Amino acid sequence: MEHSLISRTSTATLEEALSPSSTELTASEPILTGFTTSPSLDSDSADVSPASQSRWTKAEPSAELKIFCSTFLTIFLAELGDKTQMATLLMTAESHQPWIVFAGAGSALVATSLIGVWLGCWLAKRVSTKTLEKSAGLLLLLVAAQLVWEVFHL
Amino acid sequence: MDWHLLGLSFVMVFISELGDKSQLAAIALGGSSKSLRAVFLGTAAALLLASFLGVILGEGISHLLPMHWVKGIAAAGFTIMGLKLLLARKEVDEDSVEC
Repeated sequence: MEHSLISRTSTATLEEALSPSSTELTASEPILTGFTTSPSLDSDSADVSPASQSRWTKAEPSAELKIFCSTFLTIFLAELGDKTQMATLLMTAESHQPWIVFAGAGSALVATSLIGVWLGCWLAKRVSTKTLEKSAGLLLLLVAAQLVWEVFHL
Repeated sequence: MDWHLLGLSFVMVFISELGDKSQLAAIALGGSSKSLRAVFLGTAAALLLASFLGVILGEGISHLLPMHWVKGIAAAGFTIMGLKLLLARKEVDEDSVEC
């Protein structure tokens, strides 16, 4: 009796664990899905109040990894050979102290990205989700346009 | 420890990165994404690795990699993410966010 109860609950949790991934796959293509709604929020929104969850860690681990990877790859490729790299290169060449230059540049980059992410979240609290998504989409297209411009004017 | 050089490199990079495309991307992704932690870690790691390669490889990087392709791939990535946000047709949860 007890055994069957345990097995029933375990299959129930298994189904719960499996179903979000299948809905996620049908909802959107597997690449760069990090910016769609987290599947667990769709299925569990009835019993978990979203207000109690922190925006900092709202997505589940697999979705979080996707967000990390897509963010990392695009920004890394965009920043390669950028003017910041040129600045660090010049200062390294002048001072012959690459680690100090890297420490200064690195902390500045962490600071600017932290400010950027925080600013985005701050705006998200004040603008409606729909407006925010449209403007965020346009902003990303603007960044893409800037990169295309750089390709033709390098 | 050369504090002057440290401060100089910090201020120089900080000012040149303010309002730059990576920060614009961080604002857009931070506002629209479900995980601020992933966006922040992804952005910071990408920027750190890019500047690390800049320090280590120097100008060699533009000779090692076809920069037109690198920039083009990045542009395609941002376009896909931007279009996904623009074309999204889904129920949005109006929730209070913590920053």
